[in-house]
Amino acid sequence: MNNKVRLSIILLAILSPVLGLFFGAADLSISSIIQCVTQQCQQPINDVILWEVRLPRVAVGFLVGAGLAVAGATLQNVYHNGLADPYLFGVVSGAGLGASIATILFGSSSVLSQQALSMFPDITFSVALPAAAFLGAFFAVIIVQLLATNLFANRTEQLLLAGVAVSFMLSAASHFLLYSAEPFAANKVIFWLLGSLARAEMWFVWVMLPIVSISVFVLWLFGRHLDAMLLGDDNAKTLGVKVEALRLLVLMICAALTACIVAYCGGIGFVGLMIPHIVRKWVGVKTRDLLIGCVLIGGSFLIWVDVLARSLLDNQEIPIGIITSAIGSLFFIFALRQVRP
Amino acid sequence: MIASFSPNVVSFAIVLFCMLHSLIGAPAVATENGKLKIIALAPHIVELLYDIEAQDQIIATSTFADYPREAKNIPRVGDHSRLQIEKIIQLQPDIILAWQGGSPADDLERLKAYGLRIEYSAPKQLVDVAADLRWLGKLVDKQTKANQLAEDYLARLKSVETRYAQKQKISTFFEVWSSPLQTVSANAWPNQQLALCGAQNIFADLPQDYPSVSLEQVLTNKPKIIIQPRTKAGTHHTGFAWSKYGFIPAVEHEFLLHPDSDKVYRMTRRMIDELESLCAQIDVARKYYDHSK
Repeated sequence: MNNKVRLSIILLAILSPVLGLFFGAADLSISSIIQCVTQQCQQPINDVILWEVRLPRVAVGFLVGAGLAVAGATLQNVYHNGLADPYLFGVVSGAGLGASIATILFGSSSVLSQQALSMFPDITFSVALPAAAFLGAFFAVIIVQLLATNLFANRTEQLLLAGVAVSFMLSAASHFLLYSAEPFAANKVIFWLLGSLARAEMWFVWVMLPIVSISVFVLWLFGRHLDAMLLGDDNAKTLGVKVEALRLLVLMICAALTACIVAYCGGIGFVGLMIPHIVRKWVGVKTRDLLIGCVLIGGSFLIWVDVLARSLLDNQEIPIGIITSAIGSLFFIFALRQVRP
Repeated sequence: MIASFSPNVVSFAIVLFCMLHSLIGAPAVATENGKLKIIALAPHIVELLYDIEAQDQIIATSTFADYPREAKNIPRVGDHSRLQIEKIIQLQPDIILAWQGGSPADDLERLKAYGLRIEYSAPKQLVDVAADLRWLGKLVDKQTKANQLAEDYLARLKSVETRYAQKQKISTFFEVWSSPLQTVSANAWPNQQLALCGAQNIFADLPQDYPSVSLEQVLTNKPKIIIQPRTKAGTHHTGFAWSKYGFIPAVEHEFLLHPDSDKVYRMTRRMIDELESLCAQIDVARKYYDHSK
């Protein structure tokens, strides 16, 4: 990575969160935001909007983008597959199943929901949803890993196919639950699956920050081992790398990272697939450079996508997953066009 | 970047939270001109507020509030899936009126945590429209008007009930959606309307409010009336094409009814207009079948 590229990426990562604070549904002038940052807001209400609503959203956006990109990049490297993506392991479908159960039990006006609420009066929908989604996402990864280990002898292609199969299985279960539930339940889960940072609060930053930081740090520590795996499993083994154990560790880290993100922000597709490919072109394939590049570019990318999500329409927010998928699919079409024989 | 912000942000957030509480956490008391500033997050709430002439107190609403026509000019702050939290905080409403089950619960919880007062409309039965009118009347201090409208609504509802209570039941299929075929049952709002008109919903025994059913089930039940609500504003209708099933009595004798979907589904006073009209059309069909026996 040359200095010019390094400087550009660092500048992008610094400017994006700062500039991201200037966009939002509320009409805050540039001067009032600058005043809020440097001195004190003219109106207390602006304080709340800027620091309690907008700042957490920008910070969560950065962490989510960074986390997804890092997970994608690492999985692509260890599975030698440019299409590997955290979502391929059934994470979104698992989270969707968890979200469906939580919505039916805690977020609807059905008799079942009233019974659940009377049994667990302290559990609110906004707590039940991410908790159930996290458990569902992790459950999916565990099933995929068990299948891969016990049935497919850890062969990469089969692991990805197992992920696809588990995705369909869990989707079928959640679709059946939603089909049987009230119409609003399906509505809520579908909108949730489209992804959004609108729920971001500061406490989530404090949850996400250590998870993303520790994950990146651990992966960074294993950087040289992961680099060795780029040479192929056999070469890595001759260099002393415990390939199977390392692959399992990486999968678990990426699963935890993605499950945590999906649980709170819904399905934000294509970030983990697209950003690593862009970053590789700029910084190369070496794991440590790739990880840092993914954190900075992935984070910045999602901040700007979220700016679009909350600013494009006057009175509504566009679910962020729609925008990332739209950009991602176009990216892939052009990327494929470039590599055609 | 974030780490360098964090200590300031934490202390700042605590101070600001206290300030916000002192600002908007206070109980909703009359503000400008002694009137509450209201954000009404459902079309039926907006409509009822217009009914009791409290429209000037609505400062924002949700995307689909389109009646009366002037309601389209009210600023929007989100829809049934997501609210614009920043915008709502900036508007500083005295009260947010939401629809239980129809407004986004997580966003409302968050607004409540910011100290905003939130109250819910939760109409389940047809008579609840009157209860909502009275509740809103009390909130905006328009009890006289609200009570008068509520009494009128209940009287008309009672009148419909009395008129059709003893009438012979007539088998009816209510089409909510065409692909897949979806109908009403259990406690669904339109199912209560059918019961009042003396129509026998062919799927009345299903446990869900809005179940999906198969075409075969409808065909074998041979309903005498098919109800396909349509939006009067729209020109494109997506109703199921029943015309090719001429052996169904409803199709053979042309008893496909198309009430205004906005009036049928919305929990407002306009429902009673459409209900009277629908019951009358069902009664015409009933008499036709009686004579043709």
